[in-house]
Amino acid sequence: MLFLELFAQGLIYGCMYATIAVGLTLVYSLLRILHVAHAGLFALGGYLGLLLTNATGSLILALPLAAAAVGVVGMAIYRFCYEPILHRPPYVALIASIGLFIALEEIFRLIFGPYGLTYAQAPLQETFAMGGMTIRRVEIVIVVGSVLILGILSWLSRHTRLGVAWRATVDDPQMAASFGISVLKVRYLNFFIGSALAAVAGVFISLLSNLVEPTMGGVPSYKALAIIVLGGLGNVTGTLCASLLLGVTEAFGTIYIGNFMDRDAIAFAFMIVVLMVRPQGLFGGR
Amino acid sequence: MGIYEISLATVVGINVILALGLNLITGFCGQISLGHAAFYGIGAYTTALAAQSGVPGLVSLAAAMFAAAAIGVVVGLASLRVRHDFLAITTMGVGFLFLGIVRQEDRWLGGELGISAIPAFGLSKPGYLLFVLLLALLTAMLSGYINRSWMGFAFEAVADDEDTARVVGVDVAAYKLAAFSLGTALAGLAGGLYAYFTRFIVPDDFGFITSISILSMVAVGGIGSTTGVILGAGLLTLMPEFFRFISDYKLLVYGVLLFAVMRFAPEGLAGVGRSWLARWRLGRRAP
Amino acid sequence: MKPLLEVADLTLHFGGVKALTDVSFAVREKEFLCLIGPNGAGKTTLLKSILGIVQPQQAEIRLAGRSITHLPTHRRIRLGLALTHQIVRPFTCMTVRDNVALAAGHQRLQRVLGALVHLDRRSERAKAAAFLERVGIGDYMDHPVAGLPLGVLKRLEVARALALSPRLLLLDEPLAGLNHVEAGRLADTVAEINQGGMTVVMIEHNLSEVLRVAQRLVVLDNGAKIAEGDPRQVLLMPTVQAAYLGEETDIAAD
Repeated sequence: MLFLELFAQGLIYGCMYATIAVGLTLVYSLLRILHVAHAGLFALGGYLGLLLTNATGSLILALPLAAAAVGVVGMAIYRFCYEPILHRPPYVALIASIGLFIALEEIFRLIFGPYGLTYAQAPLQETFAMGGMTIRRVEIVIVVGSVLILGILSWLSRHTRLGVAWRATVDDPQMAASFGISVLKVRYLNFFIGSALAAVAGVFISLLSNLVEPTMGGVPSYKALAIIVLGGLGNVTGTLCASLLLGVTEAFGTIYIGNFMDRDAIAFAFMIVVLMVRPQGLFGGR
Repeated sequence: MGIYEISLATVVGINVILALGLNLITGFCGQISLGHAAFYGIGAYTTALAAQSGVPGLVSLAAAMFAAAAIGVVVGLASLRVRHDFLAITTMGVGFLFLGIVRQEDRWLGGELGISAIPAFGLSKPGYLLFVLLLALLTAMLSGYINRSWMGFAFEAVADDEDTARVVGVDVAAYKLAAFSLGTALAGLAGGLYAYFTRFIVPDDFGFITSISILSMVAVGGIGSTTGVILGAGLLTLMPEFFRFISDYKLLVYGVLLFAVMRFAPEGLAGVGRSWLARWRLGRRAP
Repeated sequence: MKPLLEVADLTLHFGGVKALTDVSFAVREKEFLCLIGPNGAGKTTLLKSILGIVQPQQAEIRLAGRSITHLPTHRRIRLGLALTHQIVRPFTCMTVRDNVALAAGHQRLQRVLGALVHLDRRSERAKAAAFLERVGIGDYMDHPVAGLPLGVLKRLEVARALALSPRLLLLDEPLAGLNHVEAGRLADTVAEINQGGMTVVMIEHNLSEVLRVAQRLVVLDNGAKIAEGDPRQVLLMPTVQAAYLGEETDIAAD
């Protein structure tokens, strides 16, 4: 029983990690940037989702609005922050990204206060019994929603012109450019989708805990960095598998080695152990 | 100089040692580390435990350096196995792992509450300040010496292009390990000095934010430049004091500064200094 | 006389693609051997596996009778190999002279702590200057590498390899990217160095230069050795002609 409950917990967190980490992998695979500020966009998504839900009373309306808005912010970050320093050594973009993330967190704190906000009336909190477990509606929504969104995106990437252009650019930017694909357009698209996904994940986690706070981006996104390494950096399928694996490992780890290290350390211990055995990541090619 | 200024100057000295250590790894040898605070912490905890069991000051500082460097070599060995762009995240993981273990370990390390009542080093406050500044000066001299030696030459080659370094006969792995062990030993020393200075340490002193602050000192000062990094460490340590009148905004200013330096002057203070100097020389040469 | 370098049964594949199959050849002391073959024949990969930059699945490589098959690259360099890359890889943050000085002082780098006690770079810089003059780019000595033309960088690669004072010099298309005069002059320099006693293996597409300097040829096609021997005879072999068919060849003219 405990086993099933832990597994379900792991699955829920795994889905959320996947939704965050896919955006990071997309950015990395196209630009080789470790986009730490992604965490800020995740938190921004949470804030916007909550504020819009409180204002309109409808989550259905708030979620896509928040995702689109954060997507646009993501594109702006690419245009004004990353594009001018792409030719520099990789640590330049990394440190710039960290600075941006700190600044975003502080802006949330200064505007919305350090203690965070809660939903006026948190949606999807009804519980019901399934297989002997008590499950909240929001948990089902997270799992189904993530699978649906990621599934649709993967379908679109295979069956639309833009999707095919995007995949070609990830494989070989120079070749893609020589076929007349606008690399710039693909990069914008990439940041839009990745950031929108982060926003969705932010809204999910705010529903799960009925809370948004300035520092909410930190821990999940550090873990997302660990996940994209496990997934083999830039490998989307690998990232998805690694997310689920990490979610489940954490859920069990908290119970079995929880008094030796805390939950957040488990993720990194797992990553380090895996990297020692498979230095290219779980799903990375050689 | 009042007590307050003395404390501030001591912290500057400690941070200079810490930042120069990271500069050895990241600046000279080109290996990004996002977990330097873990080695700082290892040094601090080692010193705290040693001091509490009655070990004399200098010995426990040496123990701190040794412990940090030992773990540093292990992390360095691990880093040799992973792809180059994994290293930043692996070292970040090491930082979180350290923190996660220290927080849960409440029998020896005091868990979340840390270790308090660490015995004094045995110097007065101004005396301790002089001791720290002396060590910072020695570290700066060592750093400058390494940069001019053939070891520094090899570091430069490894940082520039590992594959090319190999084909001119550089044992890339050995030099990376050397950089890791020297840099983390300095972090250990800084940690030990910090433990004797505050005489009270908690896990959060050595978290991810600290790692980022150290990296910022290096980056803002100018990666690879000893003088630049000293200036960077001084500036970023004192900056929150300059901005005390807007203390609520100090982290925001910090984040924006970090971003702005990377965006507009990626070579840091040292780079800005160099280009001014070049312009000045050009101006003098022109009629 | 015992060969200086022996390569036996070298097989290497990337994933499913076979790059080299059972390649065996030997290089005699003091000879000038050219490695030729159509594009994609596996020549560069062969040199890189001799240096240990890529790992063959199967091979036995001996330098002066000593097996170096499992040594890391830097150890092979210390035993007397040197390689120039086809696609130039200079240290971009150093000056031209320091690129070569580092190689000239590679003995000082062998022990990490030993490297810490050496400060003086003057004698290596002087040696570097001599090598740079020798390949004809002395004028660029104190330039930073960034932004220099390809012709200079190609010769910088050669100077850096020479500075390692190797027993066996492996050159991967050193003449490509140079104009006619520069190429001829560099080929002459390499031939001179060879006459001074250094063994040379060179990959080259420029067949007229090959015929001018090479004492022996090894021909690769599709990852396998298809011919070996006296340059003029080898180039007239039907198998070699067939391999080059479709490529621009003007062998008869020479």
